[in-house]
Amino acid sequence: MNVSQFVKEAGCTVFSEGEDRAIESGYCGDFLSNIISRATDACAWLTVMNNVNVAAVATLIDCACVLLCEGVAPDEAFAARAASLGIWVLGTKENVFEACKTVARICNV
Amino acid sequence: MEDCIRLEYDVDGENFASAGNASESVKRTLKQLGVSPEFVRKVAIAMYEGEINMVIHAHGGKALAEIYPDHIGIYLKDSGPGIADVDLAMKAGYSTATENIRSLGFGAGMGLPNMKKYSDEMTIETAVGVGTTVYLRVNF
Repeated sequence: MNVSQFVKEAGCTVFSEGEDRAIESGYCGDFLSNIISRATDACAWLTVMNNVNVAAVATLIDCACVLLCEGVAPDEAFAARAASLGIWVLGTKENVFEACKTVARICNV
Repeated sequence: MEDCIRLEYDVDGENFASAGNASESVKRTLKQLGVSPEFVRKVAIAMYEGEINMVIHAHGGKALAEIYPDHIGIYLKDSGPGIADVDLAMKAGYSTATENIRSLGFGAGMGLPNMKKYSDEMTIETAVGVGTTVYLRVNF
């Protein structure tokens, strides 16, 4: 399922938009070194980390979108960089576990 | 000397907002050159970890990438504190990063191990109080 469709079905907040690609898997984590070595391409990356480096790492791993959980919103630097790099940054109030279930259910991954 | 594409970057040691710019630029260039995604990813990860290390530990430095038809060579050179015990620094999970750095999502102690894992050759020249140069080679 493409990111835009997921946004509609999950009712996520959209902080920035990118290429409308399919979400093919998911990865949860906050330690950036783990993420860049283990997250798969075209995943939804679920995190509570809120800083500008998330945008850089999201680009490196080519994830389909970043889903900020637990009501986290990107700070100004993060939002600006995500917009300039063309990265989907979404938000949800759900905790990471519940958000995982939502991604799995809606995207069938 | 064999022709290559040479890309040079200043890595700003004071600025986490621009950390990753050099790796991102190299990644984009490799993609444009048609290098397969598998290798692009290896290069991007190894170089990003090196770039971040320079920002966290060494007040920045210089990054140089030389792209050849069959491989890329990356030199990451800083004038930081140097690495006192390279074997220990290479150990997965070992980190000297501060709490502040950890709060940014770094400091998992996976930087150098990831650089080794995703490169085909890695050498570290370092002297305490002088600086560190890391060479990374990824074969295409």
